[in-house]
Amino acid sequence: MSSRRSLRRVLADPATPRARLAGAGLLGLASAAATIGLLAGSGYVVGRAALRPGLGALVGILATVEVLAFLRGPLRYAERLVGHDAALRALTRWRVWLYDCLTPRVPAALAGWRSGDLLARAIDDVDALQDLYLRTLLPVSVAAGAAAIATVAVGLVTPWASLTLGLPLAVALTVPALLTWRRSGDDEIAAVGGEIAARVVDLLTGAPELLAFGADAAALAGIEAAAARADALERRHARLATGAGVVIQLCLAVAVTATLALGVAAVHDHRIGQVMVAVLPLAALAAFETVPGVPIAVARALAVRGAADRLFALEDVAVPVHDPEAPAARSPGVPEVAFCGASIRYGPGLPRALDGVTLQLPAGGRVAVTGSSGAGKTSLVHALLRFWPLEEGTLTLAGTDVERLSGRSVRTAFALADQHARLFAGTVRTNLLLVRPDATEEDLLEVLRSARLDRWVDSLPAGLDTPVGEDGIAVSGGERRRLAVARALLAPGDVVVLDEPTSGLDAALADEVIDGVLAAAGRRSVLVITHRPGEAARCDATVALEGGRVVSSSSAPRTTP
Amino acid sequence: MSAPASRPGRPRLVDPALAARVPGLRRAAGVALLLGAVSALVVVVQAVALAHVVARSLLDHVTLWSLLPWLVVVGLALILRAVVHAVGNLAAGGAADGVVARLRRDLLRHALALGPGWLSGERPGELSLTATRGLRALHVYYGQYLPQAAAAAVVPALLLVWVATQDWLSLVVVIALVVAIPLTMVYFGREATRRSQRQWRRLGSLAGHFLGLVEGLATLRAFGREEQGRREVAAATEGVRAATVRTLRVAFLSALAMDMIAGFGVGFVAMVVGLRLLWGQLDLQTAMAVLLVAPEIFIPLRRAGAEFHASTEGQAAAARILGVLDTAGPAGSAPVPADADAGSASASATASATGSATASATNSATNSAALEVDRLSVAYPHRELPALRSVTFHAPAGARVALTGPSGAGKSTVLAALLRFVEPEAGTLRVGRRDAEEESAESWRRHFSWLPQRPHLFQASIAENLRLGAPRATDPELHRILAAVGLAKLVAALPEGLATALGHDGLTLSAGERQRVGLARALLRPAPILLLDEPTASLDPPTVAELAPAIEPWLEGRTVVVASHAPVLLGRFDAVIALPVATLPAVSIP
Repeated sequence: MSSRRSLRRVLADPATPRARLAGAGLLGLASAAATIGLLAGSGYVVGRAALRPGLGALVGILATVEVLAFLRGPLRYAERLVGHDAALRALTRWRVWLYDCLTPRVPAALAGWRSGDLLARAIDDVDALQDLYLRTLLPVSVAAGAAAIATVAVGLVTPWASLTLGLPLAVALTVPALLTWRRSGDDEIAAVGGEIAARVVDLLTGAPELLAFGADAAALAGIEAAAARADALERRHARLATGAGVVIQLCLAVAVTATLALGVAAVHDHRIGQVMVAVLPLAALAAFETVPGVPIAVARALAVRGAADRLFALEDVAVPVHDPEAPAARSPGVPEVAFCGASIRYGPGLPRALDGVTLQLPAGGRVAVTGSSGAGKTSLVHALLRFWPLEEGTLTLAGTDVERLSGRSVRTAFALADQHARLFAGTVRTNLLLVRPDATEEDLLEVLRSARLDRWVDSLPAGLDTPVGEDGIAVSGGERRRLAVARALLAPGDVVVLDEPTSGLDAALADEVIDGVLAAAGRRSVLVITHRPGEAARCDATVALEGGRVVSSSSAPRTTP
Repeated sequence: MSAPASRPGRPRLVDPALAARVPGLRRAAGVALLLGAVSALVVVVQAVALAHVVARSLLDHVTLWSLLPWLVVVGLALILRAVVHAVGNLAAGGAADGVVARLRRDLLRHALALGPGWLSGERPGELSLTATRGLRALHVYYGQYLPQAAAAAVVPALLLVWVATQDWLSLVVVIALVVAIPLTMVYFGREATRRSQRQWRRLGSLAGHFLGLVEGLATLRAFGREEQGRREVAAATEGVRAATVRTLRVAFLSALAMDMIAGFGVGFVAMVVGLRLLWGQLDLQTAMAVLLVAPEIFIPLRRAGAEFHASTEGQAAAARILGVLDTAGPAGSAPVPADADAGSASASATASATGSATASATNSATNSAALEVDRLSVAYPHRELPALRSVTFHAPAGARVALTGPSGAGKSTVLAALLRFVEPEAGTLRVGRRDAEEESAESWRRHFSWLPQRPHLFQASIAENLRLGAPRATDPELHRILAAVGLAKLVAALPEGLATALGHDGLTLSAGERQRVGLARALLRPAPILLLDEPTASLDPPTVAELAPAIEPWLEGRTVVVASHAPVLLGRFDAVIALPVATLPAVSIP
């Protein structure tokens, strides 16, 4: 569990904003010290005043007390701001880390990530890392620092006070924290929590079947049993937290009583000024103010550890395709693409997703691939773009085995419009320019025309500069699909790969789009994955896949539309 | 503590509507208040004892020995505070456990009782969030916020009363500061809301941008643009940082005000009692005790303020849960299945029953039963036209009936009415000689097995999914039925076979495969009447041709109703009942 030393790795990362964290810590410490000073000073004011020394003798200390009373708030405010700033700076580093970690593994090695849930969890996990700085590192450091300051300060009054305050403080700082750190069950709580959530969704979405089949009572009982398990575990943690609080309060009782007794004895023996008997207990009380936060901070660290463990486990997912050490250069021009006996398997024990596929796409050719879902069409794309390696057989680009090329140079030979193509936050223009930043306005309008989106763009409030994506206008599935097609046409890749480019469109529009696209492809090659016989008929050859195998392959003279 | 329920926005310790539902909640609140009062008392005792020790030592330099009893009181009072605090925590935690367990059960039971119609659409997602995150927020509310709110309600008031008996000037100072708390909170709160709303929006969009980039990583990679995405991730996160820090500058102001008020609470009281001591208007013991009590007045207020977020979240969750629990039963909220539209039919089919039922392949007691639907009418609320108007048909035991009609004719509504998911407006349903009204919905549903249009597969193993309606089916039976629906090969290829998990983290099935699992599940249930809704919608003709004869053994002797646009799946039907689209008001659509 902690074998990964995930927390240490997060803290030891060279990109950690150490200076800012130290600054936040010092501000927090100053605020805690001001609190100690404020209370101890107040005790001094009262004790001194009781001796009736005259107003002049009190003015200095009164002013100091008021200044400390004023300062502790702003110091704490500054600590929180600087701390959050530092934590967010660290977050930038970890988000980029997550991005870098995912890049060589998507989409094939993390196929399950499409569900969105796992991805959302990874993003939550990365965001949770900032708690390590904000809610663990800073509160623990400030509490320990404040304890040290108070211990030294009372020691200056009378050395024994360092012991009567320092020992209970040390126990209060360490014992509850260690008990919390060594608690078990966090992983189990998280697992049971996930199970409950899944079961509840299942119960509510599957309610008709449960009711019709009389299985509702059993499903409810299952949820309640899981919830009872989670509750029992959480109750154990709650008891532990309460126990930690009790230990701290007991230490406080010992510290205050013992320090006060020491003061009384010292005053009696004239070892310290009598005013100090009012200062010592208040300093002891103030020294404990930040201590109760320590076990809470440790519990938070455990949650962060779980998040960090999950994140670093992503690195254990093998990168499916590695670049050769000395990649060959890809020859320019439209390449011939050829699969020869190509097979793909996503894992040992799993069936082959592609099984001995042989397929040629000559330079400038048009080939249609058909097949039902699960026939291996997606795997074909994975193989083409080097998202997943071949188990057997070869894939060549212009006669060069892709194993000898870098993944990137293979991918730049292609221009893909796949079913999962995304629109990014930005405008229609930025989404197109993404694939060819130097494209001219004319280029953009031309590819939009080819995808029959020109009128749609004209109808948009700001034309090409209309925002799309999360915050933009609603884009229908068909429009999204065609934008992806337009983007593929704009991309510099010489082999256009279209995955179901016209699904969701009515037949007439679908024909228009496919004709426009095939015309716009010009001398480039086109591979169309399609359900529609009309699209296959427009190609030179049709390859039918089933169960990862080529079941029929026909070449027909292209019927000109 | 609970103020009248009719005053929204007024903070209440316990929601009266919730308290009415959850026994013991009021008691828990009462315990929290009582413990608050006890802890206030202990604070005073501790302060007075400590002040006494300080005063006697400082003024009279007495021996430790002579003050020992007072020191013991100080120590005991501090220990007692720890005990009171722990008891309060555990009591609140226990109460919260009870509330949450109770509400979880009630919520889910009630949602199921409201039925599939009410549960359609967006509701399951929203409701499951309420049942998980919402309940967790409520646990925090009752386990953590409630005791602190109780302390904030009781402790400062009691301590102020005590201060009033000691020194009026200190009382004035403290009251002035306490009154300043709500004022500054309101001011800063409003200011923070006003200034930060736009920034939070921007933050949300930046966070969304990061998610979008990561989700679209495969697209970026396909075009070789992963470097640009990386730069945008860094830029978006840096944007988040800048915007967040700007927002926090305002958001932390209320905490700053609270901290400063608490600080001045100590500083000003020290000044007041110090000067009054100096001028001989106060004795040292009183001054010291007041000084010790002053910070204790602000601590509970500060804590409750810090947990304010938990309180709003918890109250919102409680409101959502109560909203569901207060929803009236199925009769009042009839469900609307997908193809529910107006339709009326009056067809009567008296088909020849296919002799006596032979032993069914499911080897369980599948008694055949006649099904009678007499002038069934269903209306949905908020719709003028009835979904079904006077549908009548009679299927003798063992008959096979096709329920056809264009989409929107009400085929699924007939099945929903048969399963008692909707309450008919009029008409009678009869199985054998038993009338639907004579039986509870639960026992009535035992007559039926059902294949819905889009069967839901549960996040469980294939075997558990199949056994949903037939818990005692053996593994060989499961294999036989899987072979009949054409899934034997698929399951045989799985390393874990029947134990393979389906859904979310498990195997993803195509629509056709899901339909076939649903069919297998429906066939496996030993019920006399089989309701199949569009059983071939996701299957291609060759598959259907293979499937139809293979499932025959499971159909033998049973009464089968197939709802579909055309009579499908079964080779022969004893009757075809066509539901026409209702005669709509004259709106001609070319």
